[in-house]
Amino acid sequence: MNQSEVIAKLQGIFDTVFLEPVQLAPTTSAGDVPEWDSLTHISLMLAVEKSFGIRFRVGEVEQTKNVGEFADLIVKRQNER
Amino acid sequence: MNIADAKDLLLKRDPGFWALLKSLTDKSTQFEELFLLSALRKKARHYKVEQPENRHRTRVAIVGGCNLYPLHELLEHFCEMESQSCEIWLGAYDNYASEIMEEESELYKFRPELLIVLPNLKRCVYTGALTDSTDAQRMEAARLVNSLLVLARKAHDKTQAEIILTNFLLPGAHDLGAFRTRTLGADWTFRKLVNLELGLSAPSYVHICDIEFLGYRLGGPQAQDERAWYESKQPCSADLLVEVAREICRLIVALKRAPRKVLVTDLDNTIWGGVAAEDGLEGIELGDTSPRGEAYKAFQKYILLLKQRGVLLAVCSKNDLDKAVEPFEKHPEMVLRMKDFVSFKANWDPKSDNLRQIASELNLGLDSLVFMDDNPAEIEIVRQFTPEVATILLGPDPSQYVSTLADCRYFEPRSITQEDAGRTAQYHSEAQRKALEAAATDMPAYLDSLDMEATIREFAPADVPRLEQLINKSNQFNLTTRRRTAAEVGAVMNDKDFVGFSVRLKDRFADHGLISVLIGRQSGEVMLIDTWLMSCRVLKRQVEDEALNELARLAKLRGCARLEGVYLPTSKNGMVRDFYDRMNFTLRSEAESKREYDLSLDRFQPIPTRIKIRQRTYESV
Repeated sequence: MNQSEVIAKLQGIFDTVFLEPVQLAPTTSAGDVPEWDSLTHISLMLAVEKSFGIRFRVGEVEQTKNVGEFADLIVKRQNER
Repeated sequence: MNIADAKDLLLKRDPGFWALLKSLTDKSTQFEELFLLSALRKKARHYKVEQPENRHRTRVAIVGGCNLYPLHELLEHFCEMESQSCEIWLGAYDNYASEIMEEESELYKFRPELLIVLPNLKRCVYTGALTDSTDAQRMEAARLVNSLLVLARKAHDKTQAEIILTNFLLPGAHDLGAFRTRTLGADWTFRKLVNLELGLSAPSYVHICDIEFLGYRLGGPQAQDERAWYESKQPCSADLLVEVAREICRLIVALKRAPRKVLVTDLDNTIWGGVAAEDGLEGIELGDTSPRGEAYKAFQKYILLLKQRGVLLAVCSKNDLDKAVEPFEKHPEMVLRMKDFVSFKANWDPKSDNLRQIASELNLGLDSLVFMDDNPAEIEIVRQFTPEVATILLGPDPSQYVSTLADCRYFEPRSITQEDAGRTAQYHSEAQRKALEAAATDMPAYLDSLDMEATIREFAPADVPRLEQLINKSNQFNLTTRRRTAAEVGAVMNDKDFVGFSVRLKDRFADHGLISVLIGRQSGEVMLIDTWLMSCRVLKRQVEDEALNELARLAKLRGCARLEGVYLPTSKNGMVRDFYDRMNFTLRSEAESKREYDLSLDRFQPIPTRIKIRQRTYESV
């Protein structure tokens, strides 16, 4: 999977987790989404790990600044499998 | 029906949303699913989707040595789904000791009715050497337990709140190998020891949330999540967090709601294999000669164990009576016998009708019953026609029956009182009594023959657990259904404006124990009847007459001119709708939500009864 494929799949997950529709782009960050708080974040990460079949390493998700970087991290972890 | 359906109903503002939300919540074990369901719930509130009224709102404080987000979110959701709204206050991360110890802390300003304490797991370690003497290791465990109980007592003394205290998760990784079993200094053994000591020494206002067990059930490695600890100080994995929140909710509900009392069982293919009427006494599977027979026998043993713990047993079977009774009387491998049942219905009427009859015979509400059957069609009928009855569908494999019944969690003991222990014996003598009643020529003669003796006593500290139990679980003979915690009962005791007394009743068949509670509040020359309730075990025994005599006597002593009573209707207390009329009170106002009465005391004469009063309020023996 490349970045845009991952973002397309993320869009599906976001559509389930968030009640208000969010249009994801590589530049979207948590600050742009009103519902994306620390609580939702935990839930979102669990959903992402499950649906991509990956596990992030401690601390690395918070290093990503936007959806683009987050998608790159997902690609990286997927390729290690 | 899934989450997408719930979302649809929500967007259509359909009130059916709430029932679906509850059933999805009950089924789900996944954090992210529950989180989403919780979000839908909040959204529905926001959209004002019409919802059944939430009756109770409790002030709940959560403190602990870990991040209390998002535990509180799950807890709030589970409680809401049980119609127990919570106003939640969260302590700061790992600040619980000072929040509890400081007199003027924000915790105390919140005035919690319930305090949840999650102590820091990282502090539950033995700091000495593995080879230290076990006495030294035990001593350190005792110190840790003591420090937690000191905190619990301090918080309880200050707020009167009930305390829910979580115990400690055991490690999931191999450490020390088998040597861990040879010392109390390993995390594995030290935490087990602390958990044991904690449970065995905690006072009754402390309710243990057994994380050790929840973690074990889920599986050690699945229960832990070190990454979640380092990233956001989560106490455990998201999956276990769900179970912890669910368990805490269960403990809260148990404090507020009456437990189930009766297990009603089907017979064929439920407590034995096969159909007695077709296969005959020799043909049914029961006993140690086959694996299936052994499983059915073990199930009967478990049912008998429940009876010994105070659960009432009844039978509801589609059968000819004689065919149904035969195994109980003649089969050598039967564990359960006729004497174990307080009601036995074997006929061809719909099971829902039989369940209604059982409830009415026992003077209990349908919501005290649990019904189990192996036949999905029967379960469905019961669900449809008597939805108040909890149902258990037993699957095709009898080896699973014991765990299926246990995991339904309908019959877990709460605070144990002496009254619980003898309950089956009491219901039995109720049956004997009914036989006598039928034989007696008139009611006064019958009452005379009972040799009833009552003890009427002001509220006393030793009675508080039973008072609290009655106040919180009496539904039918209860004029106002005002619930009170032990602390609130204590407050009544200490407030001069209140009079609170209880009635105990004994007769020649049984000691019924403490069976009626009255609370009055004086306001000038009026005695307002705040609470008047009675156990249905002693209906039509003139206990209410003696209770009124006593209340009138106390009110007169205090210079009151009249009693004022109110009937607040609920779905369950219809039996006392006209109670004050029957007691010759005068109806003063009537509305859908209440009926108000009064009774002038100047011409009140004590009602004569057949009960001998051994002691009255404020008379020492």
